[in-house]
Amino acid sequence: MIITAGIDVGAGAVKAVLFGFEGGETRLLGKRTDRIRQRDPYALAGESYDRLLAEAGLTRGDVAYCATTGEGESLEFHTGHFYSMTTHGRGALHLDPEARAVLDVGALHGRAIRVDERGKVLAYRMTSQCASGSGQFLENIARYLGVAQDEIGALSVTATAPEKVSGICAVLAETDVINMVSRGVSPPDILRGIHQSMATRLAKLLKAIGTDEGVVLLTGGLALDTGLVAALNDALAGEKLALVARSHPDSIYAGAMGAALWGRFRHDRLRRAEAAAMSAPA
Amino acid sequence: MTTTAEITRRCLALYEDLDFASVRAWKAAAPGRKVVGYMPVYVPREIVHAAGMLPVGILGGGDGLEVIHGDAYYQSYICRIPRSTIELGVTGRVDFLDGMLFPSTCDVIRNLSGMWKIMFPKAYVRYFDVPQNYVDAIGGSYYAHELAELREGLERLGEVRITDDALRASIAIYNENRRFVQAVYDLRAREPWRAPATEVYLLMRAGMVLPVEEHSALLREYLDAAAREERPRRDNARVVVTGAFCEQPPLNLIKSIELSGCYVVDDDFMLVSRWLQGDVPLDGDPLEQLALAFLHRSVSTAMRYEPTQAEKGRFLIDSVRRTGAEGVVFAAPSFCDPALLERPMLHSALQRAGIPFTSFKYAENAGQMQPIREQAGTFADSIKLWSAP
Repeated sequence: MIITAGIDVGAGAVKAVLFGFEGGETRLLGKRTDRIRQRDPYALAGESYDRLLAEAGLTRGDVAYCATTGEGESLEFHTGHFYSMTTHGRGALHLDPEARAVLDVGALHGRAIRVDERGKVLAYRMTSQCASGSGQFLENIARYLGVAQDEIGALSVTATAPEKVSGICAVLAETDVINMVSRGVSPPDILRGIHQSMATRLAKLLKAIGTDEGVVLLTGGLALDTGLVAALNDALAGEKLALVARSHPDSIYAGAMGAALWGRFRHDRLRRAEAAAMSAPA
Repeated sequence: MTTTAEITRRCLALYEDLDFASVRAWKAAAPGRKVVGYMPVYVPREIVHAAGMLPVGILGGGDGLEVIHGDAYYQSYICRIPRSTIELGVTGRVDFLDGMLFPSTCDVIRNLSGMWKIMFPKAYVRYFDVPQNYVDAIGGSYYAHELAELREGLERLGEVRITDDALRASIAIYNENRRFVQAVYDLRAREPWRAPATEVYLLMRAGMVLPVEEHSALLREYLDAAAREERPRRDNARVVVTGAFCEQPPLNLIKSIELSGCYVVDDDFMLVSRWLQGDVPLDGDPLEQLALAFLHRSVSTAMRYEPTQAEKGRFLIDSVRRTGAEGVVFAAPSFCDPALLERPMLHSALQRAGIPFTSFKYAENAGQMQPIREQAGTFADSIKLWSAP
């Protein structure tokens, strides 16, 4: 069995997966997420990788290709590094073969990626530097509201009168939220307002990359936020785009999975190149 | 035994020292010593060396120098190297220079030579011209005359006579240096994980300030250390970096290209150390031999006139083939006329040859590397995943 690993060092968490390939079958051997929480992300990535290997009864020596993505290029033990859009595109296709666009919404950025049926990136756009479209912003607001992160989506979908939040600047948006709290606006309405603001920006990104129909898979740390998915589908309808946004239980691992899958591709290609070089006349 | 890390640390200290302490120490070590600076891309350092002087590469201020005075001398649409060079001059950082050579790289550098003359009237300043005709009896004769004038100028500056024997001895010493430089480049092209681009860059930068004999010894030490040390081999795309022959990119830019998944297997940084390809013969008239080497065995770059249009790009394509590169990264300074005007011609040549490439611009003090990482990273991915196997 050929084993490859994918390690996605994000701004908020390290995600790692292991794949085994045998007889034309691809098997997910393990996955784990470790929140960075002010630790050294590179040391954490090494620990996370070793724990994942131990859980699968493997060692680093068993891995044919260890691929990194995100901020993982500085990891000493990696075989190859792939850029985030490349890995999220491939990972999304693995999780949802119908996907032709990906929205990677992580702690710091939102990215829209258009892919073809092979996972080749055809177009790409990213949110501007302001954090108001990011997971970190949402996490901050949830903390102010005293809401646990995994409650955000469920609360958001129960909103009855969402409040509009600035979509331009995180500072302005936070001021908006403080005003809403003092006016007695309910947490679900506040959260839904934030989701709508983020969704509007993400829908515009999708429009900018020329995606106007088919399936969009959400990946990254906010992929499982049901409130964001719902708000995004509303925003897509508002933009008159025939797109369906959906998520997958393993969406958070899309980058790591894409890295491991591309690692397998590169492993095979390198072996073929080596064999060709060996058989070539001197 | 010295390690590559130790050698790199020493080179980094030399690179970061904008007061040129090592050069000042060399000059102070014996009375009457003279230092002659030179700007990119090429000057015949052999003649300076034969005069008993230290040739020192002045490559601008990089990202470690705040330019205050320099901006007053140039329009906003001029590259940064002349501004930071002026800054080095007016702040006294290069006050050890007894002479300064300005090669005919572009109009900006030519004008800088005139400004330097006015600003530092006591220094020996020479605008060093090169031939645009490669017929021995025409361009060769012209260039030999230029070299003779340089020799006479340095003789006056140092109050020494530069004999043919002294020139031959210096040529031999630079021949040896070129062989070591080439050996480092060959090692990197063969096994780039043993000689990362940032290390090779710093190693070559050290050659801009160290005496050539010391630099050769350093290169030999590095080659020994690199051959001894085991380093992880990455699955990176092999690229040639071109366009950075004058204003130098910040070190972080080179690091970013490598970190984003590229092995740099050839480049055109500091071409002065390998401008002449192979040994310059030690027999005959040494100036004539230097002239012939320039005419017939020098690298091709934007500042060297190429009379045959069909030949444009051949040198770059040869470099790609020779080093087994899979793509080319055009990294040129903003507002660099020679590099940016040559770029479309090189693009066309690469397109015809089916070699992928990507292009961006930089300034020597650029600090934001995310766009470079993004571009180099996606370029590396496209080579690794979508190029023909």
